[in-house]
Amino acid sequence: MIIFDNVSFSYGKTQIIEKISFRVAPGEFVAIVGPNGAGKTTVSKLARGLLRPTSGTVTIDALNTRTTKASKIARTTGFLFQNPDRQICQNTVRDEIAFNLKIQGKSDDETTSRVEELISLFGFDPNASPFRLSRGERQRLALASALSAKPKILILDEPTTGLDYRECMKIMNLIKSENLAGTTVFMICHDMEIVSDFAERILVIADGRLIADGNPDTIFFNKEICAKAALLPPQIAELSQRLGGAYQGIRHVDNLFGAIRKNFKGEATL
Amino acid sequence: MKGFLQYIPGNSILHQLSPITKLALSVLLCACAFLSSSILYISFLLLLVLGLSAMSGIGRSALQIFSLLLKLSLILFLAQIFFIREGDVLVRLPLNLFITDEGLAFAILIALRLMLSALPLALIITVTPMSDLAGAMVQKLRIPYKYAFALTTAIRFIPIFSTEISEIIEAQRARGVNFDTKNIFKKIRLILPLCLPLLVSSIKKTEYIALSAEMRGFALRNRKSGYKSYAFKGRDLIALLAGVFIIAASLLINLP
Ligand SMILES: Nc1ncnc2c1ncn2[C@@H]1O[C@H](COP(=O)(O)OP(=O)(O)OP(=O)(O)O)[C@@H](O)[C@H]1O
Ligand SMILES: [Mg+2]
Repeated sequence: MIIFDNVSFSYGKTQIIEKISFRVAPGEFVAIVGPNGAGKTTVSKLARGLLRPTSGTVTIDALNTRTTKASKIARTTGFLFQNPDRQICQNTVRDEIAFNLKIQGKSDDETTSRVEELISLFGFDPNASPFRLSRGERQRLALASALSAKPKILILDEPTTGLDYRECMKIMNLIKSENLAGTTVFMICHDMEIVSDFAERILVIADGRLIADGNPDTIFFNKEICAKAALLPPQIAELSQRLGGAYQGIRHVDNLFGAIRKNFKGEATL
Repeated sequence: MKGFLQYIPGNSILHQLSPITKLALSVLLCACAFLSSSILYISFLLLLVLGLSAMSGIGRSALQIFSLLLKLSLILFLAQIFFIREGDVLVRLPLNLFITDEGLAFAILIALRLMLSALPLALIITVTPMSDLAGAMVQKLRIPYKYAFALTTAIRFIPIFSTEISEIIEAQRARGVNFDTKNIFKKIRLILPLCLPLLVSSIKKTEYIALSAEMRGFALRNRKSGYKSYAFKGRDLIALLAGVFIIAASLLINLP
């Protein structure tokens, strides 16, 4: 559960976030979208308690971030930075994944088995040096260590940026399966195809303000909001919108295709 | 440490002076710090520098640098005060330590000298864009661009490193490292692993900067390549005259 209650934040005198309120229920999959510099990363850091609001309150997993140590929130929350290099600090891939678990005082057996599990899941070479990995590989490593302690809440700042299509899908499916198992996912993403396919709900942030909060259908079909936040809706959403009527709101190729086929039964073959 | 040793845009006289004038003035002030042995005169010059900074809208940075220098000079002060054994004893301490009037005066002088010699040089950075400093050094002082670039890049990196460190600490806090411990040994053990990402990122950064400079034709740059000229104006002359006056005064005036 993440609750933003009238949250504002400024760096010095520049106001970055202005009076944002929303709540994310346990088990939800929420995407945050918006143009560059809108304040998405700032919102994610506020949610994680790395930044404290200038006014208003942020609550994560029933802890007020103003009065809770950031290190304590780590027990329940996994966090992926936009720049994975900041968090990588160990000499081998294995140690890097084990780091979170060790910090949280997990037993050696538990740590080892979880680390081996993640290594085979992601297909890492456990003895490689993290600093020699490619950018996409470092991103995946950072994600693996964020997942290591089986967090109840996952906050991800652009988890798929810089990954190839196959890796991107692998990671998104992994995140989705965590979500289906009950993990709350709070994800920043610039790829509307991914947002449309995976998120149940979208928060649109522009200029430090929350300008829309709703399910992908309502957001992607709202031209005004899309223009304001520089969003390009997925093509399939655009198509179903233009077809109108019963097709409206369909965001998956197979479903749209099925619907069209049903309508044209007997008259045309698709 | 936010904004420490960083350029602060403005339109004051200090901003408008030629970078060379500012360099010359701070060298002159530095010379004064060592030529004069008057506590009063050096304090007066320090106050003058702080006053000028406040008038130019950089009072906050000046105070920031000043307080850092104050801490450094306190160390110097403590190191000096017990080593001078001439003069009348003012305070007697255990372990056969004592403070004499001459020792006290000398320690204060040394501390003030350190502050006056470093403060103006540090302040140049807050009133001069690095590119102007490098440009003027190349054009007027005929320093090869390579060296001017290396110097200004090094200075520019100080704030970058300090934000980098705080971001790395933030990332480790996000992973559950608790930095709030009072135990100093525990703290050092927590901070030590952070040197690795910092080292890696700084080496990478220097490699990238070297490469990107190379790609953009760094080697082709010569003395005439700058698109700005750093003309010497009337106000520069006045400022330099004032500097000469100050240094002459430091030789002539015999204050305590
Ligand atoms: N440490 C900082 N000090 C001052 N301003 C900052 C700082 N970090 C971010 N900002 C400013 O806050 C604003 C929002 O930044 P933020 O990183 O949250 O954007 P974002 O939505 O994540 O953008 P992107 O899509 O590019 O990642 C930007 O205008 C940025 O310049
Ligand atoms: Mg961001």
